[in-house]
Amino acid sequence: MSAPTAELNPSNRLRNLLRDPLLLVSLIILWSLLILFILLPLIRLFIRTFEEGGHFTLSNILAILGDPNQRQALWNSLLLGCLVGLCGTALGFLFAFTAVRTNLSKAWTFFLDVSIILPLISPPFTTAIAMIFSFGPRGLITYDLLGIKNFTAYGLHSTLFSETITYFPIAYLTLKAIIAGIDPNIEDMAFSLGSSRWRVFRTVTLPLTVPGLANSILLLFAASLADFATPLILAGNSFPVLPTQAYLQITGLFDIKGGAVLSFVLLVPAFLVFFLQRFWVSRKYYVTISGKVGAKTQVKSVPSWTKYFLLGLCLFISAFILYFYVLLFYASIVQAFGANFQLTWKHYRVVFTEGLKAIRDTLIIAGAGMPLGGIYGVILGYLVSKKIFFSRQAMEIVSMINYALPGTIVGIAYLLFFNDPPIMLTGTAIIIIACYVFRYGPTGIRTTVAILQQIDPSIEEASFSLGAGSGTTFRRITLPLILPAFFAGLGVVFIRSMTAISATIFLISINWTLITVRILEKMTELELGVAAAFSILVVFIVFIVITAISLFLRLFRQPGAPEMASILGG
Amino acid sequence: MRIKRMLVFFAISLLAIFGLTTVAFSAEALNAYSIWPENWARPMFEEFEKATGIHVNFLRFSSGEALARIIAEKNNPRVDVLFGGPVETHIAGIKEGIFEPYKPPTFGVLAPRFKDPEGYWVGIADDPLVFMSNNKFLKEKNLNPPTSWNDLLSPAYKGMIQMADARTSGTAVTRIFSVIEVFGRDENKAFEYMKKLRQNVQVYTKSGGGGTIPVGLGQAGAGIFFIVDALKTKQEGYDVVISFPKEGIGTSVEAIALLKGAKNPALGKKMIDWSTMPAMQNHYAKYKINFVPAHPEVKTEPSLAEVLKGAKVFPIDEAWAGQNRKKVVERWINEVLP
Repeated sequence: MSAPTAELNPSNRLRNLLRDPLLLVSLIILWSLLILFILLPLIRLFIRTFEEGGHFTLSNILAILGDPNQRQALWNSLLLGCLVGLCGTALGFLFAFTAVRTNLSKAWTFFLDVSIILPLISPPFTTAIAMIFSFGPRGLITYDLLGIKNFTAYGLHSTLFSETITYFPIAYLTLKAIIAGIDPNIEDMAFSLGSSRWRVFRTVTLPLTVPGLANSILLLFAASLADFATPLILAGNSFPVLPTQAYLQITGLFDIKGGAVLSFVLLVPAFLVFFLQRFWVSRKYYVTISGKVGAKTQVKSVPSWTKYFLLGLCLFISAFILYFYVLLFYASIVQAFGANFQLTWKHYRVVFTEGLKAIRDTLIIAGAGMPLGGIYGVILGYLVSKKIFFSRQAMEIVSMINYALPGTIVGIAYLLFFNDPPIMLTGTAIIIIACYVFRYGPTGIRTTVAILQQIDPSIEEASFSLGAGSGTTFRRITLPLILPAFFAGLGVVFIRSMTAISATIFLISINWTLITVRILEKMTELELGVAAAFSILVVFIVFIVITAISLFLRLFRQPGAPEMASILGG
Repeated sequence: MRIKRMLVFFAISLLAIFGLTTVAFSAEALNAYSIWPENWARPMFEEFEKATGIHVNFLRFSSGEALARIIAEKNNPRVDVLFGGPVETHIAGIKEGIFEPYKPPTFGVLAPRFKDPEGYWVGIADDPLVFMSNNKFLKEKNLNPPTSWNDLLSPAYKGMIQMADARTSGTAVTRIFSVIEVFGRDENKAFEYMKKLRQNVQVYTKSGGGGTIPVGLGQAGAGIFFIVDALKTKQEGYDVVISFPKEGIGTSVEAIALLKGAKNPALGKKMIDWSTMPAMQNHYAKYKINFVPAHPEVKTEPSLAEVLKGAKVFPIDEAWAGQNRKKVVERWINEVLP
């Protein structure tokens, strides 16, 4: 983070605070919120894990680690996370490299972008539904197409496949920006020194993307570690994973303590990944963009046969993704998939009658979370990057915690903390909104920070020296500059409110329920047609909203302003 | 000024949102957790509203989840009634002190197995388990529909059977108690059987009916389900066949119970009165809900009676099952599931 002025010593910082009452007030409010909605629930989870009859004990944790089944679940989770990280990153690299290094026409890039955006804006288990139809002893693909009779749809392979398809777009978005940032001139230099194309790729292009690859692997590892819905449907019983075990422990066995302990075990790898990403990978970006950009040259790193080969691969995978969604749509408009293929709107009728409450609740929650998440992100991002105050670094790290942790942990921590006095929030909409705001607000924070880093501080200093207070300066100078970040933060909170399930499944109530939870319930209730119809509806709503937001972002186009697509990745 | 306009816009939208969130739920309404799937519970609740004018807000959960939630909310119950679900769930709940005894006017008419002597729960339907198999699968493997628990152990079924997970599903708990009953309550023998059966199980599903569509599609060959779920699959047009084991199979009472500390006890009692009477149970046939009615005056729908003809179905000893539920489920998780 760039500090606006020279570092001040602590006593000066304090005086600074007192001189700026608005800053002081916003700090107090923000810290109270962070403590209430991030630290205290986590501390409660911590206590629940390590306390037995008023004493500190390791026995709960040891009991889990001593149970071979749970140890297996932990190991499975880590294995799955690593594999999803590797496979997803490989796939993401393939797409990103093809998209920016092979001189594709606009139409092709657009096609790739569209097929990649679908998994990003879907509820997490939509591919799982399609997998159930497609694979298995009588699956559309394994049996009807390939004639394999004994294929099982449950286990590591299908969970890995489904999660890779769902999360590789994150890798794509992370890597695309980095590969696009490599100046083709650098490759040209290597070419002119006589290198072969393969050698250039191996010794120039690939090394420059290494930090991006590492970052992407970590992001996907974290995403997989947080996902409990896909394994719940596809992992079967021989491949238990920790998030699903924790969920079943709480919802099925009413063992909140056991669930808390299980989710605590998950905390260790999650934090490890968070700190690796933050303090190691994020510092290793190589900058190849200098002030003097030569004439833009054609990218020559790929011969045309490779280009068509890569494009073919990408198209094959895109077609696969599109197939999943076509299948999903088809399942939503036939009477009973597999038995009665008569067309019907009855599943949509159910969605818009029985499902209306869930739709209304979700839209209200997402709608309320949107502006709050946007404002939260912008204010916190502004403070940590433009102001010097005591606890600045701590505030930034704390604000990222709920974002970094798997949703299962956050959900369970909220359930533990807000179910009893002093602050009883279970059963309200507030707890769900708060969960989304503090879990997905950080995207807005990071975008704000990124934009502010590119704004010359002298603009604000000029405002100060003309006598404006920090409020006026923020409102009249900074705010207009960071509006794109505001919309980015707001957009992500909306999208995740429509699609996420892992944390909030613990927080729904008779008064407030969510579409994603309904989809899961409908799937386990054998109403696959309705589940499919709900999923299509979510994809539709989210697609419209992100289109609107990206149009908005284009309106405010500014240096450092992100594209909507790249925000989705975070 | 763009900024000023933006700020006004946000102030207005915030107000609108808070307005929306605070309105809602003005009329008096009953709150319920339903273990019956939404598409059966909803028509019942709508008929109830037609008959009494009382609206029902409800949320559907698997029985294990519903029970867990009610226990978690014990100090501050969010609902008035637990609607439906195999009675083991309700019996397990009595021990947790989450129910309020209530005897509806029909109490005297009901057979003893359809009511708790104290009135902690009352039966609204009977729901036998069945074997359901995919016809094409049977033909391909040259099998007859299974008519014995031992038939399911045949290697022909390897990796092709789906049934429910006892951690979340009451169907699974009823099934386990059926097996224990078939083995004369010799738990060790029963678990030995279940461990052998495990070899043929493709997956244990989260909810009781979770395996019916896979069996319908042929993704699985056979499974053990409640008759309501199996018949629904058949009615949707999937090519499946229902059969019963000659050793007998358990049936479970579907029950309703009032929650202790319910916010609307009077409405809850009205719901219990209504659902234990022919008033509700006469509607089962109309909505193609294949439960066997609990009230003696309500006729079982003819096609359902036809399926059940000749089947050996025994009631689970609910008191015994309720007491041993926790122990048995834990043993199942540790010995059978892995």
